[in-house]
Amino acid sequence: MSEYLVETENLCKEFKGFAAVSNVTLKVRTGSIHALIGPNGAGKTTCFNLLTKFLKPTAGTIRYRGQDITDLPPTDVARRGMVRSFQISAVFPGMTALENVKLALQRARGGSFDFWRSRSALRAYDTRARELLDDVGLGDFAGTMAAEMPYGRKRALEIATTLALDPDMLLLDEPMAGMAHEEIDRISALIRRIGKNRTILMVEHNLNVVADLSDEITVLARGEILAQGSYRDIADHPGVREAYLGV
Amino acid sequence: MALNALFSQLLIGLINGSFYALLSLGLAVIFGMLNIINFAHGAFYMIGAFAAYFLMASAGIGYWGALILAPVMVGLAGMATERLLLRRLAKMDHLYGLLMTFGLALVLQGVFQVAFGSSGLPYPIPEALTGGVNLGFMFLPLYRGWVVVFSLVACIATWYLIERTRLGAYLRAATENPSLVRAFGINVPLMITVTYGFGVALAALAGVLSAPINSVRPLMGADLIIVVFAVVVIGGMGSILGSVITGFAVGVVEGLTKYFYPEASSTVIFVLMVLILLVKPTGLTGRGIEATQSAVAPEPASAQGRERVALMVFGVVVIGLALLPLTSVYPYFIMQILCFALVAGAFNLLIGHGGLLSFGHAMFFGSAGYITAHAVKVWGLPPELGILAGVAACAGLAALAGAISIRRQGIYFAMITLAISQMLYFVYLRAPFTNGEDGIQSIPKDRMFGVLDLADTTVLYYVVLAGFILGTLAIYRTINSPFGQVLKSIRENEPRAISLGYRTTLYKYVAFILSGTLAGFAGSLKVFVVQNASLTDVHWSMSGEIVLITLLGGLGTLLGPLAGAFVIISSQHHLAEFGQWVTVLQGAIFIACVVAFRRGIVGELAKVLKISL
Repeated sequence: MSEYLVETENLCKEFKGFAAVSNVTLKVRTGSIHALIGPNGAGKTTCFNLLTKFLKPTAGTIRYRGQDITDLPPTDVARRGMVRSFQISAVFPGMTALENVKLALQRARGGSFDFWRSRSALRAYDTRARELLDDVGLGDFAGTMAAEMPYGRKRALEIATTLALDPDMLLLDEPMAGMAHEEIDRISALIRRIGKNRTILMVEHNLNVVADLSDEITVLARGEILAQGSYRDIADHPGVREAYLGV
Repeated sequence: MALNALFSQLLIGLINGSFYALLSLGLAVIFGMLNIINFAHGAFYMIGAFAAYFLMASAGIGYWGALILAPVMVGLAGMATERLLLRRLAKMDHLYGLLMTFGLALVLQGVFQVAFGSSGLPYPIPEALTGGVNLGFMFLPLYRGWVVVFSLVACIATWYLIERTRLGAYLRAATENPSLVRAFGINVPLMITVTYGFGVALAALAGVLSAPINSVRPLMGADLIIVVFAVVVIGGMGSILGSVITGFAVGVVEGLTKYFYPEASSTVIFVLMVLILLVKPTGLTGRGIEATQSAVAPEPASAQGRERVALMVFGVVVIGLALLPLTSVYPYFIMQILCFALVAGAFNLLIGHGGLLSFGHAMFFGSAGYITAHAVKVWGLPPELGILAGVAACAGLAALAGAISIRRQGIYFAMITLAISQMLYFVYLRAPFTNGEDGIQSIPKDRMFGVLDLADTTVLYYVVLAGFILGTLAIYRTINSPFGQVLKSIRENEPRAISLGYRTTLYKYVAFILSGTLAGFAGSLKVFVVQNASLTDVHWSMSGEIVLITLLGGLGTLLGPLAGAFVIISSQHHLAEFGQWVTVLQGAIFIACVVAFRRGIVGELAKVLKISL
């Protein structure tokens, strides 16, 4: 396996002449937790959308496991093991937590076009789904409608659903946004644990979390890479201080 | 001589193109601001023509006065409509706007039909524009030349107003970001009202222009609007200029077809639309996956995971239906209800569970009827094989129509399915085997499977009931299958389903084929009940009826289609003597359902009882 799981080269995205992302060359080391930070409007989410092909890049290439995936549709990117979360919580609101997770398991294990079989065929996934829910501390919520779960729990459910696909690469878009303290601690521990044998790229605003979790940090500002390195490198970088604090 | 004919067809093409351009321009203006596809646009066009007629008949105001006054009057009526009805939908899915304006179109057209019948009223060409000039290569009637030139001027003026003036700048800004523009102190709600009024005024203007050429008829806009939808799908609604150019271009293509291959003149626009969608699935101005997803989701039921209750209630209803021949109820009436309930159930599978509004399900209902009728009458096949032929044909048709339409979302999907279905209507109108307006009559009632004598009413009743049960159970199973789970997830959050690796388009495509096939099954059964296959069943109004039955009964419910079919078919039976008032009533039910009753009969009941039906 190559040293980097995901590499981009001079990635650009323009919206009607406005360069949301320009010349981003990003390398995510296999097995690392890599944070993408930057002020609002820096292009972090756009980067996510480009990597997972929800947006088409204007220029540049994306490689995953050394293969060019620049022209793949988003589904295929997911099927190759690079799965994303969304900034606004991405759950299926009219399904229970258990059903949410099972939906992902169902995809990974096939049989999803069976319209002639009863849904009870999916019970085979119950055990694994409950394990995954327990893993993220949602054991008691298995039968709860996703729509009725508190915000932090929805984020946890989203992670459990993503993990159900057993992806090699996770992209987490602001996993801690809008969470209370104790929830942050729990999700942090969870991310650290799942990061042990996976590669994670996350956008996060909470710098304590970033400092705590990440092996490598990339700072974006106005669509360009401003700095890259460990937390210490970044914290001392004058350009970063300026971008964040305006001094 | 031939050249002369070519030029006059070209001129007719340009005139029709003028109407297409004015109407699609109005649709685009309204869509930009309200995010609504105004199905009532054809009705407002018709009212524009009638307004001109009234102004002349009752106030002695002639053409030139009407050219100003009629659009103003209709525009004001449009503004009132926006305030009273459309405003209530502002925060809801775009598809509800389409449904409501469809209901509005039914009401308006129905009222004018009650008052004036279906035949046309004459409207004279203004004196200054009578006669014509000989251009050497052709004779140009002055009025026709005027229509083309004036429409062009009106379109360019509209373009100028929106793209080049301060008012237009506000309008465009408000389209992009209404709340921000509102924060600048601009009265956005008023702007929306005026925009809708302006859009329908353009339609009314086209109506006045058309009055001296086409006679003034209540249904003059009904078929036209579907053609305009196809124009809009071809050109997209993104740009003002785009819709104007497409409108004229499509008119010219239609004119040329009338000259070179007249048989295809009524279908050429739809064929053009299909070809363009095949080459470029997102249309000429299509957007990619970034486009916002649009789906009419059923109002969530309060209790979940109790689907079996619905199945039990269904069982009780079926037992009741099975005992019916012992009573004095007229069985043919119930059989019709069962057929309509099944086609609505098939449609419900698509909208209630797949979130896809097809406005062309009549194509399956009617096609299956024709194929089955032809198979048993002309080929002499036994009933069961006739039904099989109809169902198989619909599966194939759904595979084709789905391949063309499924990649487009929301209102575009609705417009494309409507247009494809209208294309088939014209094909069937001309195809020799359908007998055109007469339809295929007196279908033989042979023995099904060699034993079931369909000529016996009771036997036929049980066959139809068995078909209904089979179809409904198939729908139930599909909804509650592994496939159904994925379909549900797509409806609830398509981007997330994609990010989990689901090829969502493929799932919707399969759902479309299943739905079309089952709708065909209903159409095949109906042939044996009503003893004929006719154009009525492929007409767009049938598609509307299927939507209405489902909406009234309750989107996404198992029993809703049966309840809806019962109400609608009964009202048609009992109110048949009131003629077009039935249409008005159906339109009113449509509007009521969209405004205040989105759960439908069964959905409301389920909510009260806190169960899932």
